[in-house]
Amino acid sequence: MGKRVLLADDDQLLASLLNFRLKKGGYSVHHSPNGKEVKEYLKNEMPDIIVSDIMMPYCSGIELIDYVRNDLKSNTPIIIISSAGNEQNVLTAFELGANDFITKPVSPTELLVRIAREINK
Amino acid sequence: MLIPPNQIKIPLITAPEFNLEYLWWLTILFFVLAVIYFVGVFIIRNKITSNNSRTKDKKVEFSPMINEFLFYEDSNTKEEKMNYLNLKVQIRELIKNNFDRDVLTEVLLDLRKDLSGSSQTVLIDLYKDLGLHHDAYEKLRSSKWQVVSSGILELTTMEVEDAYGLIIKFINHRQSTIRKQAEIAVVNLKEEGIKYFLDNTKYKIAEWQQLKLLDVLRHKPNYTPPQFGLWLTSTNTHVVLFALRLIKYYSQNDAEQSIITLLKHKNRDIQAEAIECIKDFHFVNALLTLKLVYTKASHDIKIAVLDAIGELGTTADVSFLENLQLTERNFNIKSKVVGTLNKIDPERILPTKNIATSDFYDVELDDLTQDNENEVVDVLEEIPLHDIINEISTEIEVDAEVKEDTIEIKSVDQDKALDLQVEESINEGLIEEAISEEKDLEDIELELELFPKEIKEVKSIDDIDLSFLPHINSEKIAKEIIEEPLEEIEPVSKKEHEEQAEEELSFNFLPLVVDETIITEETTTIEQEAFEPIFALDDASFEEKENEINSIKTENNSEVTINEIDWSSMNYDDQDKKKVVVKDADAEETIISFENNDISFSPNFMRQEELDAMVLLENISELGDCRELILLYQIVEENSSDVVIDRANELIQKFSYQSPRPNELFSEENDLTESVFKDVYNLADYETKLMLLNEMLVVGDQKEIHLLESILESNSKSLVAKATEVLEHIKSQSPVNNETPVTELDKDSIFNLDFELELNEPSDQKKIVSNDNGSTLFDQLCSMSNSLYNKING
Repeated sequence: MGKRVLLADDDQLLASLLNFRLKKGGYSVHHSPNGKEVKEYLKNEMPDIIVSDIMMPYCSGIELIDYVRNDLKSNTPIIIISSAGNEQNVLTAFELGANDFITKPVSPTELLVRIAREINK
Repeated sequence: MLIPPNQIKIPLITAPEFNLEYLWWLTILFFVLAVIYFVGVFIIRNKITSNNSRTKDKKVEFSPMINEFLFYEDSNTKEEKMNYLNLKVQIRELIKNNFDRDVLTEVLLDLRKDLSGSSQTVLIDLYKDLGLHHDAYEKLRSSKWQVVSSGILELTTMEVEDAYGLIIKFINHRQSTIRKQAEIAVVNLKEEGIKYFLDNTKYKIAEWQQLKLLDVLRHKPNYTPPQFGLWLTSTNTHVVLFALRLIKYYSQNDAEQSIITLLKHKNRDIQAEAIECIKDFHFVNALLTLKLVYTKASHDIKIAVLDAIGELGTTADVSFLENLQLTERNFNIKSKVVGTLNKIDPERILPTKNIATSDFYDVELDDLTQDNENEVVDVLEEIPLHDIINEISTEIEVDAEVKEDTIEIKSVDQDKALDLQVEESINEGLIEEAISEEKDLEDIELELELFPKEIKEVKSIDDIDLSFLPHINSEKIAKEIIEEPLEEIEPVSKKEHEEQAEEELSFNFLPLVVDETIITEETTTIEQEAFEPIFALDDASFEEKENEINSIKTENNSEVTINEIDWSSMNYDDQDKKKVVVKDADAEETIISFENNDISFSPNFMRQEELDAMVLLENISELGDCRELILLYQIVEENSSDVVIDRANELIQKFSYQSPRPNELFSEENDLTESVFKDVYNLADYETKLMLLNEMLVVGDQKEIHLLESILESNSKSLVAKATEVLEHIKSQSPVNNETPVTELDKDSIFNLDFELELNEPSDQKKIVSNDNGSTLFDQLCSMSNSLYNKING
């Protein structure tokens, strides 16, 4: 059983692709297409790492970080996926406790490396 | 009286008879239409929803397949390889269906935006491998612009280089969406695409499009930009502008001369961009052209030019800027000029607005003056004699900060101590004067400047700042001073000194010498001759005296006193007035004239004639136009004053530009030999063009032929027909064709006037043909076109 990754992204195609790549990389992946589902999942189970898009329905990636760090008081590593030119959101994410970020277009291999690095810290 | 109801036979209002059957038919009709509408909406909506649903399902179906393809590795297990081959077969079967092909293309395009790195490369290869780009080629053949555009976008996104040849033909497509998409594709697909685009595009390149193209170039890996200076000569101004921006972005500074030349471009955007390039690349050689362009530039360009001069300029450019400071009227430009001046020469211009006057500050001036007085004495005591001798050659202490011109006259004496006393007393006089004129002074700092804190070494008369000096009649002053009875001056108080000085000398600027000893010495030693050399020293004489002093020094081997110098031998040219114009940043400009050994203290006003001429010129400048040119030439001829001539020439230049003279109109160099209708015609709409053609029929001449021939090539048949008619008419009217004898009536015609248009030099002013009010026919036409031009340019 590999490390558990929570993948929060509303883009089905990209999520499917990343899901496939992460599984192939030996991770156990749970995909949630919106913030509400993510919160529900996190109430029951805390993954080893969270990979979240910033723009999501119901609950944005920023709110998710806030929820994890302040409400759940968890130090689980969080990697943010953001669009290029969304630097302000990235800065806010870091201020709230995000561990790393990656911009779209995403290189799945790069994401895999970053996840491995954060988990092994 | 009431009328019984049975007697009323005709009702006042009669209801219209209506066939109820029609009403029912109408109701049914509208009901059916409403049903059809709602059914139609329902069907279309369902179709779209089901289509979306199918697409979504298909995407879900394709997604794992694509994932397998994207992350397939040769190191996979045999089972995985078998699975990969099966998927390949399966997907090829699927894409035989058009709908599936479209969905797969859509999926790949979506993923292309979200993926980078090796996955992206694999994705693009998969797209080509599945032959989906052939669908895009088909789209390029469509007659619908949106389909063509999407086809180009698809091929660009999937980097299908083979499509380059097909896309370049859309570069000049009349549909702007297709054209813009093609421009991006061409630049994106091949490295030489930008060259092809810049070479061939005929249309405007919008600002946004320029940004997108630049973005494409920026993200091209291993891109080597061409020398964009090659396109600075393009006939398409938008290409030139874009090339300038690319030059600036890629820092290609090898096109200096071209960029400097573009400063003179008619297009303001190009001018502005060229200025930016010049600033960025620090092209100092452009300074001259910048100044040249400035005079006729728009406000924005003027500010940009000033900015560039501020970046590149040196103190040599200060005079140009100072002239501008005096002549510019626009507030923004004037502020920029001041800013530029201070940028080149920091603190050249100090703040003058809203500065409080001296009385605003509650400072005990007595204390200040006392302090400064002591300071002066200390300084003077430290001065060696040879410095004083050097200084005595001028005998003038300058204080340019005083609002009213002030002069210090040191008595020429043998004794250094006496000199020091004189200095002391002079300074004392200045202190008193400062106290009395306190209210007139600008501020406390200016007052402090009254006291010489440091005495600079003066090597020649040119080194002395004489800007403060009014004209002095030395003979008169000497006489007045000598005739002054000592008894009257001796026991006076400070206040009395002040009053006395005002009454007797009647110029407040003179230092009031009140000390008894000094007055005595002055009466005995100061003679007319003593003043003369002081103000009349020319360079040669000064050097001569210096040599003399040195020789005396060497002979006596001691310090030299003033009286040992033979001042009477000093000669200067009586005829040649020596004028010293000293310009100090803090003082008003003063002209000192030395004429016939007299030093005149009267203000050096202009002569009345000069003044009148200058007033006239200023009025012309304010209100005049090109019609005043003749008068201006007359002024130049009749006046001998340089100031007047310069100003008149300036105005001639200004008005000549406003209205090109006839000779300029016909000058090949100026390219104004074309029809006066040309500019208006090019900007006019269809109706106006027809009107202009009608006008040409009436007043046109041979100059219109070129324009008319160009109109013949236009698409509008009616314009062509009209132009043909006008052309035939003009040709038939031309002197070559028209060989009919000149009748008496024709002799008086304006068109038969035998005049020749000549160069409009100031000396040739009489040759200008003008009517009674000084305005020529060409002036009117040119003014009209200028007005139109100015109106168009805001």
